[in-house]
Amino acid sequence: MNLSYPTLKTPLLMIELFTLLFFLSATSLFAAAPPPPNLPQGEIMRLGERMYREGVLPSGAPMPAFIRGDVEVDSTAFSCSSCHLRAGLGSFEGGVITPPTTGNKLYKPYIRPPSLGVIADRDGRDVYAKTVLERPPYNRETLATALRFGTDPTGHSFNDVMPRYPLADNDMSILINYLELLSKEPSPGASKDEFRFATIITDDVSQEDRQALLRPLQQFIAQKNQQLGMYNDFIKFGYTPTAEMKYAFRRASLDIWELKGPPTTWQKQLAAYNNNKPVFAVLGGISNSDWRPIHDFCEAERLPCLFPITDFPVISETGWYTYYFNKGFAQEGEAVARYLNRMENLSADTPIIQIVQDSPAGRALAAGFDKNWNEVGRPAVTTITLTASQLVDPAALAKILTKHKPGVLLFWTEAGLLQNLPALIARLPATEMVFVSSSYLGRQTANIAENIRNKVFITFPYRLNPYVGTKTGGFDAKIPILTGAKDFGDRRIASRTTAMLQQATLQGLNMIYDNLYRDHLFDVMSMQMDLVMRDYERFSFGPGQRYVSKGCYIIQLGPGENPTLLPRSEWVVQ
Amino acid sequence: MRVTLKTIVLFLLLALVSATLSANSAHAANKSYKRTVEKYTIPDIVLVNQDGKKVRLQSLFTGDTPVIVDFIYGTCTTICPVLSAGFVNLQGKLAVTGQKVRLVSITIDPENDTPKIMKEYLKRYRAKPGWDFLTGSRTDIDSVMRAFNAYIPDKMSHYPLNMIRNPKDGSWVRLFGIMSSREFLEEYQSVVGK
Repeated sequence: MNLSYPTLKTPLLMIELFTLLFFLSATSLFAAAPPPPNLPQGEIMRLGERMYREGVLPSGAPMPAFIRGDVEVDSTAFSCSSCHLRAGLGSFEGGVITPPTTGNKLYKPYIRPPSLGVIADRDGRDVYAKTVLERPPYNRETLATALRFGTDPTGHSFNDVMPRYPLADNDMSILINYLELLSKEPSPGASKDEFRFATIITDDVSQEDRQALLRPLQQFIAQKNQQLGMYNDFIKFGYTPTAEMKYAFRRASLDIWELKGPPTTWQKQLAAYNNNKPVFAVLGGISNSDWRPIHDFCEAERLPCLFPITDFPVISETGWYTYYFNKGFAQEGEAVARYLNRMENLSADTPIIQIVQDSPAGRALAAGFDKNWNEVGRPAVTTITLTASQLVDPAALAKILTKHKPGVLLFWTEAGLLQNLPALIARLPATEMVFVSSSYLGRQTANIAENIRNKVFITFPYRLNPYVGTKTGGFDAKIPILTGAKDFGDRRIASRTTAMLQQATLQGLNMIYDNLYRDHLFDVMSMQMDLVMRDYERFSFGPGQRYVSKGCYIIQLGPGENPTLLPRSEWVVQ
Repeated sequence: MRVTLKTIVLFLLLALVSATLSANSAHAANKSYKRTVEKYTIPDIVLVNQDGKKVRLQSLFTGDTPVIVDFIYGTCTTICPVLSAGFVNLQGKLAVTGQKVRLVSITIDPENDTPKIMKEYLKRYRAKPGWDFLTGSRTDIDSVMRAFNAYIPDKMSHYPLNMIRNPKDGSWVRLFGIMSSREFLEEYQSVVGK
């Protein structure tokens, strides 16, 4: 083996030399600037956006890419925007710093901020992957080289996670042009001095609920403005602000966008408000109706809408511009499907019947159940939709139960049903389980008759753990949250709005610094760490995740007039 | 079109060459990842795979087939896609030689990663049978992370890690960092003894 070593090594060196020359000639070949695409700007944005976000070439083929020299990847699996994010300002995750990729930033010199220096964690691992200390500005030629060969203008190689893209000149030109236009101008409603916000209230909301929403919102705005005053005094007295402080204080204002009349007219009303005085984001909001017209407006305008109080959010896997607390009623239906799917002793042929009140809430609960039940590969269950008056007719209900003999019964109804529930349950087999929604039954949930409480399972989408922090320590741990029957029916408008403002939203607004782009606000919010909340066990984020509370307990009631809530499931059932 | 083909051909040649160079230098001195051999005690827990089926974790780590484990999540940016690209490339290379491997990805975002999301993730990467993606309760996922000395309190602070189980003695080769597909294949071959 030793003897053969030199003979093996020599051809290898020859190959390396040859390839080095080849590399140099190839680099010079590609150093030519890609010509500007001969296309209208709108078309460049459309094609470039598709390359950037979906990894699809203008031809419709996937963008080829390579990682670590030889790991071939399909850019439709993960694209430029997976790491550099939609606004192109980059990200930090898993120790990898992804730098900005907009023309604004690339065509300027870069100097690494001290906060992203080489820092080791407790186990000696680098907290951040090492990034370049500084680089000169890119131009179109060096940018094309960077995308193709993974080197910056000084020849420094990128981190291995950055793919290399063998793009043809025309495709490269479209992509570079797109990057030059990406996040070029600040979004409407934001300037270096001011953030303008609005909140949305529809005319089906009670005065009490309206105030519960507005109090924390207006307090938040007042606080921001008060802090700005203090910051200005701070400067006046000769103190030097930190980099973070420079961006954290701006004047803030809140408009109230009142929507009146039928939901079909809402989008027009919203457009009038937004055209008159555009806002950077919609903070909260409240409606008792389907949120869809507002959701669709925000999608079309690319306008962030942060955590409205609604039981009827749009359930979408691709919706981008609205953050919801959870999926509302649908999440409770979904929780029952997951719970039943995990039950060891539920025979596959047990008849499951959904009795659904003919109402938006009833339909949303049933749809949430059906969707999830279908996703886990179960056959459709029998669904019977009844009016409110049919639901309080014991004879009509008894007839349905006699006919279908359900082993599991889902009652997606209001509280009017509860008085008949003991008699109905008495007609059913001993193994019977009945599921109801605490959000739909409201305060009356606590009045479920004691003799049937062992049969009735209740969806409860809020926190049960009494301690927000750990029981033994931490700032939040001192006051236990004693959730009980008194909390049924409480929509928690003020507490949820306060929490979303003071935790998720404030953090997002502070972290965008001077990059005043709506997309960037969503990018940074989606990369937040989990938050522990007062009303929910946990908020979790992630690119594209828009329902931040994923949980819903299945509970039963303990005995007595003020029953204990007994969890029968985990917060999230998988 | 001629430009496109020329570009791609040149790029592929360069990629091949740079892989040769990097593999050589990796052999010679510094690897871009850290390799150790470990013993792990796997907790006796039941997780759920991409088909919604329950899977007893210990049952995956028996038999003569080498097993490779990583921790990822369905909506991850940056390192999970790279780890998954490594998995799918390895699967492809071993399929050519007829060698066996069982790939197991365990989510670190159990609240969001439902079987549906995991199935779509695998489909997106064109995973072949033999690559499973597992979710479960947060408590169980935490216990698996702890068992592999890979516990992180939040998914946003995770790091690239692959672990290859040697079927001969049940030991694990722990690979911390991002590998080229050639390095990954070599690590696999070192475990199977080739």
